[in-house]
Amino acid sequence: MNCDRAKELFTDRLAGNLGDEARAELNAHLEKCAACREEQQGLEALWTRLSLLPELEPSPAADRSFATMLRGYREGLDQKEQAPGPGLFGWLTGWWPAQPAWQFAAVLLLFGGGVVAGWKLGPGRAGSPGSEVAELRQEVQNLKEQMALALLEENSAGERLMGVEWTSRLRQPDEQVLSALVRTLESDPNVNVRLAALDALQPFVRQPLVKKALLDSLPRQDSPLVQIELIHLLVEKEEKDSMPVLKALAENRDLDQSVRQRAWWGLSKLGV
Amino acid sequence: MVRVRDGQVETLAELYSRHRTRLFNFFVRLTGNTHLSEDLVQEVFLRMLKYRHTFKPESRFTTWMYQIARNAHHDAWRKARHETAADDDESNDAQPLWTSQSAPDWEAERNQDVAILQEALAALPLESREVLMLTRFQDLKYEEVARVLECSVSAVKMRVFRAMQELRQSFRRLAGKEAV
Repeated sequence: MNCDRAKELFTDRLAGNLGDEARAELNAHLEKCAACREEQQGLEALWTRLSLLPELEPSPAADRSFATMLRGYREGLDQKEQAPGPGLFGWLTGWWPAQPAWQFAAVLLLFGGGVVAGWKLGPGRAGSPGSEVAELRQEVQNLKEQMALALLEENSAGERLMGVEWTSRLRQPDEQVLSALVRTLESDPNVNVRLAALDALQPFVRQPLVKKALLDSLPRQDSPLVQIELIHLLVEKEEKDSMPVLKALAENRDLDQSVRQRAWWGLSKLGV
Repeated sequence: MVRVRDGQVETLAELYSRHRTRLFNFFVRLTGNTHLSEDLVQEVFLRMLKYRHTFKPESRFTTWMYQIARNAHHDAWRKARHETAADDDESNDAQPLWTSQSAPDWEAERNQDVAILQEALAALPLESREVLMLTRFQDLKYEEVARVLECSVSAVKMRVFRAMQELRQSFRRLAGKEAV
């Protein structure tokens, strides 16, 4: 037997896997080879000494954290199972052709249909009664916007709530209004106003400005209620980008327990 | 685990209470950080939920668990290294995130011999610490460790031997004598 074979047998002996024949073989080598004998005695003593290392227990906080994670995950799974089918979007995507050539043809067809429909049904030329109505609508829209923005700056929480309500009357709020809502969500001292702002922002989650603001705001909110609503909204909109933020919240032991549980719930619903 | 895989996810709590301490110590000895180790234990159980469909009943649960644990540890280690590098770009006084020292709350630190042993272990390369932890403390056979480490059984034996040699050198250096 050479020294390499002796090393292999030695590791078997450490693991308690050495048969009688192999043990005799190893012992015979060790009797002859002083270098191997010295080394293996030292290593075996050290291997035994490793049993002195103490075994630590994880903290009770870690157990609570696990229980929170499991509850949240279970809840998320239950809701996922109860969720309705794919809906209209799923039905439509089912019809969407898989071949790129057919996809291109479908896009052309839809575009052509849109052009024809616009030509037939769209408003007349500038100066026609149709365009006057459009101008009037725009003026009313501007007025509502100004009203909403002014109310959002008021000292009274009731008036700020009304300001949020005014923004929901706008057909398509511009960036200035969305930014004002984001500011309200971020820094309004009143939780109800913040919740109302969140509600008003709901239809615009897909817009980069709003999405980024919601993701930034989530860990910064000091109200668990607002945080939970934010999590709900992001999960409902299936915002996968929110997963790192949710994970950080779920693992933050200093955070309110119900927020952490909701974050785990969200992660399980988003597919973690 | 089969029950967890089949949808009874709450039964994961049984597996947690059975394996949490051993898994926790595995991570503590690898990272030297108790807080991080608790997070890693939770990460392992979260990954079990996420990848529960990949569990095969014919394979041993602990082998699967340590495969996940090893991946979780490597991911966390890479992330910490990346963040440290990013911090270094901004300031020169960034603290290393992955400590090579044992956790300060080891109860046995009072025992000098054990403290030296811990320090010697912490000084080993990660690969060596990993193979020692799996073979010495986790009740895994070499065949199972080979599956966890994705190498042959003879490679595991060779790594164990080499890791023990390194540990002995490190221990002797720290103890300042021909201790073993």
